Amino acid sequence: MRAQPRDTGREEAALEASLAAVWSSRPGLLGWLTTVDHKAIGRRYIVTAFLFLALGGVLALLMRWQLAQPEGRLLGPDRYNQVFTMHGTTMMFLFAVPVMEAMGVYLVPLMVGTRNIAFPRLNAFSYWVYLFGGALLWIAFLLDMAPDVGWFAYVPLAGPQYGPGKRADIWAQMITFTEVSALAVAVGLVVTVFKQRAPGMSLDRIPLFVWAMLVTSFVVILAMPSIVLASTALILDRLVGTQFFNPAAGGDVLLWQHLFWFFGHPEVYIIFIPAVGMVSTILATFCRRPVFGYLAMVLALVGTGLLAFGLWVHHMFTTGLPRLGESFFTASSMAIAVPSGLQIFCWLATLWGARPRLTVPMLYVLAFLFTFVLGGMTGVMVASVPLDTQLHDSFFVVAHFHYVLVGGAVFPLLGAIHYWYPKLTGRLMEERLGRWAWGLVFGGFNLAFFPMHLLGLWGMPRRVYTYPPELPWGGLNLFSSLSAALLAAGFLLFFWNAWRSARHGEAAGPDPWGAGTLEWATSSPPPPWNFTRIPVVEGADPLRDSPDALKVAAGLRLDRRELLLTSVMAAEPEARESSPRDSVWPLLAAIATTAMLIWSIFTPWAVVWGAIPVAATLIFWFWPRGTPEDES
Amino acid sequence: MAILALALLGACKREVRELRPDPPVAAALGGVAALPVGIGGRPPEVYFALGKPYRTNAYQLSEGKRLYAWFGCAECHGQGEGTARGPALLDGWWNYGPAMETIYLSLRDGRPGGMPAFHTRLTEDQLWQLAGYVQQLGAYSGGAAAPGRSDEPPVRPAENRAPARFAPLEP
Repeated sequence: MRAQPRDTGREEAALEASLAAVWSSRPGLLGWLTTVDHKAIGRRYIVTAFLFLALGGVLALLMRWQLAQPEGRLLGPDRYNQVFTMHGTTMMFLFAVPVMEAMGVYLVPLMVGTRNIAFPRLNAFSYWVYLFGGALLWIAFLLDMAPDVGWFAYVPLAGPQYGPGKRADIWAQMITFTEVSALAVAVGLVVTVFKQRAPGMSLDRIPLFVWAMLVTSFVVILAMPSIVLASTALILDRLVGTQFFNPAAGGDVLLWQHLFWFFGHPEVYIIFIPAVGMVSTILATFCRRPVFGYLAMVLALVGTGLLAFGLWVHHMFTTGLPRLGESFFTASSMAIAVPSGLQIFCWLATLWGARPRLTVPMLYVLAFLFTFVLGGMTGVMVASVPLDTQLHDSFFVVAHFHYVLVGGAVFPLLGAIHYWYPKLTGRLMEERLGRWAWGLVFGGFNLAFFPMHLLGLWGMPRRVYTYPPELPWGGLNLFSSLSAALLAAGFLLFFWNAWRSARHGEAAGPDPWGAGTLEWATSSPPPPWNFTRIPVVEGADPLRDSPDALKVAAGLRLDRRELLLTSVMAAEPEARESSPRDSVWPLLAAIATTAMLIWSIFTPWAVVWGAIPVAATLIFWFWPRGTPEDES
Repeated sequence: MAILALALLGACKREVRELRPDPPVAAALGGVAALPVGIGGRPPEVYFALGKPYRTNAYQLSEGKRLYAWFGCAECHGQGEGTARGPALLDGWWNYGPAMETIYLSLRDGRPGGMPAFHTRLTEDQLWQLAGYVQQLGAYSGGAAAPGRSDEPPVRPAENRAPARFAPLEP
């Protein structure tokens, strides 16, 4: 047997050269299409998700324009239905969930000190599937064929009798795309966190953001099957003539709502939990101390993830449920305030007397604390049945969930983009522009959405395309619409800043913020192999504990892509494992899957015939090619 | 790219929902040039200008289906299988021929033997919607667009799965 080159005792430059030979992607378009590098795919995911954010934002502005005055003429009822459905669907399925997972895809392998995500080809596949699913929805919109049944697609309105044409089918199939991609990423993240952590990173030394992504991934794995079931049953009802949701034939309309919200409520936490992890990370860095109550924070994350599955029925309080059910779900909905409150107090304790550096990421964290607490308060309000009966389907609910989702997830995300931008691009985002954008976003958001609480209390229903001038809603709606323009200007400034800083930003070193987690131990942006030597962790804050010299592990092979597997609990080294090379087959498999899924909107036989190319591409994907990576 | 462009072109009008046509368009839709026998004729120009939506647009067809239920068509024609009072619509046998404008005329002016005239009860575009649905019930081949099944106890195959039972008389 040929001697295998190892990294033990090599010169730095020689080591990097041989790592580059193994880990780099091919230059040019082919390399771009075939790469399985989690950083390239994570960046791509993030950019695509922000593109969908911008598109969804344009739809929101259209709606605000339409509602600015009574009897607006910009959108007709049919177009308005499509626009609010597209807005919700885009923001939830094409922006919020993917962008959070994308941050995990980019950061988790770096934060746990490994060289690539687990199952990197699956990860590449998930991006392509996500992209094609998003394209399906938006091309349908351009064809006047977009779903118009709300992002929740309640039957019977989305069912065969009241949902003519292919609009609801396109929604249901788009869901399938996002399900597949989210599940693929979640599986990769769980395995990365459990098996690929740097030696010494025992469970109590995992960074809080990584914990958050781990909990999120489990929530994805447990919640998505429910919507898989629901959307498949909907398509079967519409296309094949099954009767899942037809009460006249023994089906059940409420079954849809149960299945949807059993996914839909955890979905909110899929978006929120990573944001919480971002907040903890940013706070720890700019307060220059670890987050107060690490154990309590982790347990709160896990508790949130578990409770997420016990309160879906609060979306259905007005459907006429048994009294006992309503009481139970009121209690469980209010119980979610316990882990959330615990985290809020841990953050406050971290801030207490810390004299935080008020950089842009930190400002977003403060905006988050303010806005999210407000949204949480209204959440406790709508968790009580009598109040919810009054407020259901009113603009109060619109205000509530925008406070929770934008305040609870988008603000931390924007902060996180500013915070990790150097790691993404090697350059810092411009601070002054960032402050302006922060002010506009924070101010514009609150001015635009706070009046909606009042509008809801005054009886304005959701999802109406216009209202008569006799009703007293005109003034606040106009105010809200004008403020929405401020919010949009803030986002525009943010995008401009990100665009410009990528070229002209101040160059950042490996660790511009003086942070303590492992992603800052490597250069910005990191090389394709992430770490030239695998770091060894001896504390919760490796870079702060040993600022001068990080211990490293050695002994990995250099003639193939190889990384280190460690034990789940204590992260003791267990084995060297190969990591797959670049491949074009994930892309081709995604194209075959896309063809099958879109075709199946029109005939059920597509599932039979379309499965053949999918199987063929998967066979080529897994076909051994005699590379060193194939050795066991 | 070419396939995509073709798909875009083909899909252009498929899912458009014209909730209420412009009043002049709606008025022009009534201008069917009927033959003296009341069978066959020429639809108005505007019918072609609109792109013949009443047979190819799922929304228009499903509106026709709602009108079928609301205006008591089932009293005589059942769910398309026919009753002692009215002929079947599902079997592909047309007493006055399968042409769209003939069905329109039957609905508008009525027919001897008990078929009432609906021109006082339905607007012009509603008559066309209903005609489209009725023609689709007895069509000889499945179309690209169809209303979905109803949330009712199934008594017959859904419209989107049921071409007429008999051999085609015309393509």
